[in-house]
Amino acid sequence: MLSQDKYRIALLSAYAVGLHGLESLLPSPVPWLKFGLANIITLITLMLYGFRPAIMVTLIRVLISSLFTGTFPGPAFLLSLGGGVVSTLAMATALSAFRGLFSAVGLSLIGAFFHNMTQLFLAYFLLIRRIEPILFITPLIMLLGTLTGLVNGTVSELVIRHIKKSAITDPASGTG
Amino acid sequence: MSLRKLLHSTTIADKVLFSLLLLLSLSGIFLIKAFVPEGHTVVIELDNKPVYLLPLDKDGIVSVDGPLGKTTVEIKDNSVRIQDSPCRNKLCVRQGWIKTGALVCLPNRVVVTIDRGRETGNTIDAVTG
Amino acid sequence: MDTLVTITVVSRSQEKADRAMNTAFSEIEQIAKLSDFYSPESEISMINRKSGISGVTVSPDVLEMLSKARYVSENTGGAFDITIGPVMSLYDFHKGIKPDASKIRENLHFVNYRNLSVDRNNSTVFLKEKGMLVDPGGITKGYAADKAVEILKQQGIHAGLVAVAGDIKAFGLKPDGKPWTIGIRNPAPGNSEDDIIATIGLSDMAISTSGDYERFFILDGKKYHHLIDPKTGYPASGCRSVSVIAKKGVFTDSFATGVFILGPEKGMKVLDKMGFEGVIIDSTGKAQITPGIRGKVEFKKTPA
Repeated sequence: MLSQDKYRIALLSAYAVGLHGLESLLPSPVPWLKFGLANIITLITLMLYGFRPAIMVTLIRVLISSLFTGTFPGPAFLLSLGGGVVSTLAMATALSAFRGLFSAVGLSLIGAFFHNMTQLFLAYFLLIRRIEPILFITPLIMLLGTLTGLVNGTVSELVIRHIKKSAITDPASGTG
Repeated sequence: MSLRKLLHSTTIADKVLFSLLLLLSLSGIFLIKAFVPEGHTVVIELDNKPVYLLPLDKDGIVSVDGPLGKTTVEIKDNSVRIQDSPCRNKLCVRQGWIKTGALVCLPNRVVVTIDRGRETGNTIDAVTG
Repeated sequence: MDTLVTITVVSRSQEKADRAMNTAFSEIEQIAKLSDFYSPESEISMINRKSGISGVTVSPDVLEMLSKARYVSENTGGAFDITIGPVMSLYDFHKGIKPDASKIRENLHFVNYRNLSVDRNNSTVFLKEKGMLVDPGGITKGYAADKAVEILKQQGIHAGLVAVAGDIKAFGLKPDGKPWTIGIRNPAPGNSEDDIIATIGLSDMAISTSGDYERFFILDGKKYHHLIDPKTGYPASGCRSVSVIAKKGVFTDSFATGVFILGPEKGMKVLDKMGFEGVIIDSTGKAQITPGIRGKVEFKKTPA
């Protein structure tokens, strides 16, 4: 199982990095609008395989993405790391503490919320030490985060179902 | 995998959470729009230190040299915008013109704020030039 | 020197303050007398009369000034050159007279700081070629400000400000504990004397500014100002004003002139090399500042 876990984590991390890279290539008409597509991977990993693989996928994704974009080890990396770790923790906590209360959509919303709040907090402490610009953009970020959280959550849900379905129809693939 | 099935899988908690977040963010946006102080001084800071304190009602273009290069700020018709900046995604430029609030170029460490006028208490002791 | 000198001191004793300021004023007057280009009795005039003939024994102040002037010439690639006298004299800024190109060409060869020999051991100064003229105007005010501050400190003053026209030296802090606020004049054409473009807080530093608006005349739509390029004999273009900040006024005064003549690009390099700070406002009105004073200079308006 251990090697299968590692294989899974590596594969999922690769997906996450790929999605993150793809996302940054997409032209963004609206400023600040990042879909956070890689979070879909994190959420799926969390729901199917648990906390440890999920946090590893997040860490690996953040590290590799930042190495590729040359933002390691700057403030952008710290922001990405902080946001990723806290949101994964929040989602994992919500999943285990409130079993069954939230579906993928709810968890994604929680993840998006904590991701954004952490990043805004870190941006204040590490970068801009004036509260006005931070407060100014918080509601906007939160709105966008809520909307993308909804979309990501929906996609995650769809993917999970698909995986579960193919696991059922193909008994040879083990635990999926 | 139909949409209806999906809707059914979302729990009540999901819906409550979504509505709450939506409400919070929308009201936040309205509050900000209503309560942001009217300012008439444009403060341009580099690395959190003020470099330019300019009146909002005088048109002009200035630039600040950050670690990545030159960020150009334009003041026109009582509005400010970041005309150009050496950052990768140019989010600061895309924000366009603002009459209140702030513009930020994080990568180049530039913050442009519209303040209510700085009380720097600068009486000048001597003039050179 | 026909210049406005202002001295400000912080002191608990009126008597002590008066004594210190009077002594400082006398010192400035003394330096002015020794270095006055237009006065036949000054040491500078003696040196000029003896050009190509013999060296002249000078006072420590003049020796120091001319020695430093050579140093600045060496470090600005000759852009600052006090032997510019013969060419400067061709211009009349009061009457608005510009010399012919041929006259300028004839006199250019006299301009060469390398022919100014300063002998520190014998305290003599010698202009090697007959017809050479030194005009230390670009360095005396800064030097005088330095000496004045020295005197004030000797007299027991801990904080103050000496302004010899636009060459300023500040030491200590104001009574409210803050550094002295110096305003930089706006060099934009047509601006009044109290039009300040930026302010900077200084303590134990000197600042000088060279600008194309200080002495000038306009002829046939062209502006002729007093910052003459020793290589061409014509006013330097490229900058509207240059402010230099350093520990000594003798350097801020002279390097401000040198950097102005060198232009924005070369000028910035010199400031960097010398470890000085400064503000350069170029001919298009764009302002550049050295990295060391980023965040310390506050611009109140766009320079253009």
